[in-house]
Amino acid sequence: MHPTLVKRGAEADIYLTEWGGKKAISKVRTPKQYRHQALDATIRKHRTMAEASFMSAAKSAGVMTPFVHFVDLVDAEIIMEFIEGDSVRDALTPELCYEMGCYAAMLHASNIIHGDLTTSNFIKNKKLVLLDFGLSYYSERTEDVATDIRLIKEVFTSAHIAVRKTFPNFVEGYASIAGKKRTDKILENVKEIEQRGRYARVT
Amino acid sequence: MLCLGIESTAHTFGCSMVNSKGSVLSDVRDIYKAPEGEGIHPREASRHHMEISSIVLQQSLQSAGVSMKDVDIIGYSAGPGLGPCLRVGAVVARTVAGFYKKPLVPVNHALGHLELGTVLTGASDPLVLLVSGGHTMTLAFSHGRWRVFGETLDITVGQLLDQFGRALGFASPCGGRIEQLAIQSAGKYLQLPYVIKGNDVSFSGLLTAAIKLTEKFYTPDVCYSLQETAFAMLAEAVERALSFSGKREMMIVGGVAANRRLAKILEASCSRHGTKLFVCPLKFAGDNGSQIAWTALQEYQDSKTHVRVEDSFIKQSWRLDTVDVSWRR
Repeated sequence: MHPTLVKRGAEADIYLTEWGGKKAISKVRTPKQYRHQALDATIRKHRTMAEASFMSAAKSAGVMTPFVHFVDLVDAEIIMEFIEGDSVRDALTPELCYEMGCYAAMLHASNIIHGDLTTSNFIKNKKLVLLDFGLSYYSERTEDVATDIRLIKEVFTSAHIAVRKTFPNFVEGYASIAGKKRTDKILENVKEIEQRGRYARVT
Repeated sequence: MLCLGIESTAHTFGCSMVNSKGSVLSDVRDIYKAPEGEGIHPREASRHHMEISSIVLQQSLQSAGVSMKDVDIIGYSAGPGLGPCLRVGAVVARTVAGFYKKPLVPVNHALGHLELGTVLTGASDPLVLLVSGGHTMTLAFSHGRWRVFGETLDITVGQLLDQFGRALGFASPCGGRIEQLAIQSAGKYLQLPYVIKGNDVSFSGLLTAAIKLTEKFYTPDVCYSLQETAFAMLAEAVERALSFSGKREMMIVGGVAANRRLAKILEASCSRHGTKLFVCPLKFAGDNGSQIAWTALQEYQDSKTHVRVEDSFIKQSWRLDTVDVSWRR
């Protein structure tokens, strides 16, 4: 099967291809002409490496991710398992928000910061599957955990403004894994980050 | 309907006349120039605004060929911005509105950038990159407000350029001089921190690192590397927003929109997604009275919103995503 372009993402092209006779996804971080070559090469290599290793690390944390078949650091390509299903972005429900909260808490319990926790990076299969670990890193700091949570909160209040009251469901899911005390502490930190935002403090 | 718009959030004091078709009849402004190596001192800038205000207003009326009697409403920038500067604009607006008995409309300055940008470029439903000394944000309109998709977590790209320029001994605004210096570089890239957090960016570490590099390396190379890094970060933030929102149009507004290199980089990232790029005309990229007048006009025409002189206000902190935009559907 010849690889066909499925989606042109922000930083990578997604192709549908084949691996060992099964449908697979090839994610290629193609060079960006507008970026200086040295900067571009560093970013592409680093993110490909991070993505491949965190996809596996997340599995041990209890989070479903696609299986990695093959990694090519020179061309910044990852071939991974094809996951059937829709992006949560287009079919957001309170139940899915709860599940996403659980996933975030499980990652954080293993000190994994996802770095790009948005609804478009979740796929609804039989279970929820999380993608896009290019910006992931390890950290124990509450501040970094809060940065992750703040991002998805921002997505809920900007892109998903029509689906009201979804963030509390996410928090509920998160607290079911992390515990209320820890969740409150993180939310406190999220508020602090928001207050740091430009023109957020009313004088 | 004719609107007088008064702008005074930072270094610019401007008065403009705009009619309900969105035609700018006059746009007069006077910019406070900081001494070499210094930024905008709020007290000094407000003193400049005070001294220049009546002349700017007069010139604006004259070049539009109108008198105060012809003006139907008065808009003023109420925030966000520097308190002392905002106060000057507000005082001028209150005085004129009180004396001539005209409705007074407070305007969010950032909203002004977006609204004027859309009418001038003809973009209908764009993803917006607002880049200036006060803002660095990606925005899209949804459910009655401009929603923030991503933004800077610390300083703005305008501040990055200004503070870096000041360290080199330039006077704010420094973006133009940095762009000129960068062109002199042979394209030698010095490594600098590239920070993307989800849809957000952070520039403070980049600023510190770039200033440090100036001690050892050729200044044009540092300027070049600073621009390349910062603008690549903005381009990635834009691409993320485009890919998520699926918008077919993209618009860039704010003072930093005047940078040609940034426009070129964004052109490349937009073409990757088949998105049409609209760049706010150079003359209206930076702060001006027209953005205030046009926004006030739309708000007043849609809902007759205005404030009494005694209830008029300024807000130094006034986030764009807290403003209801009733006229845009």
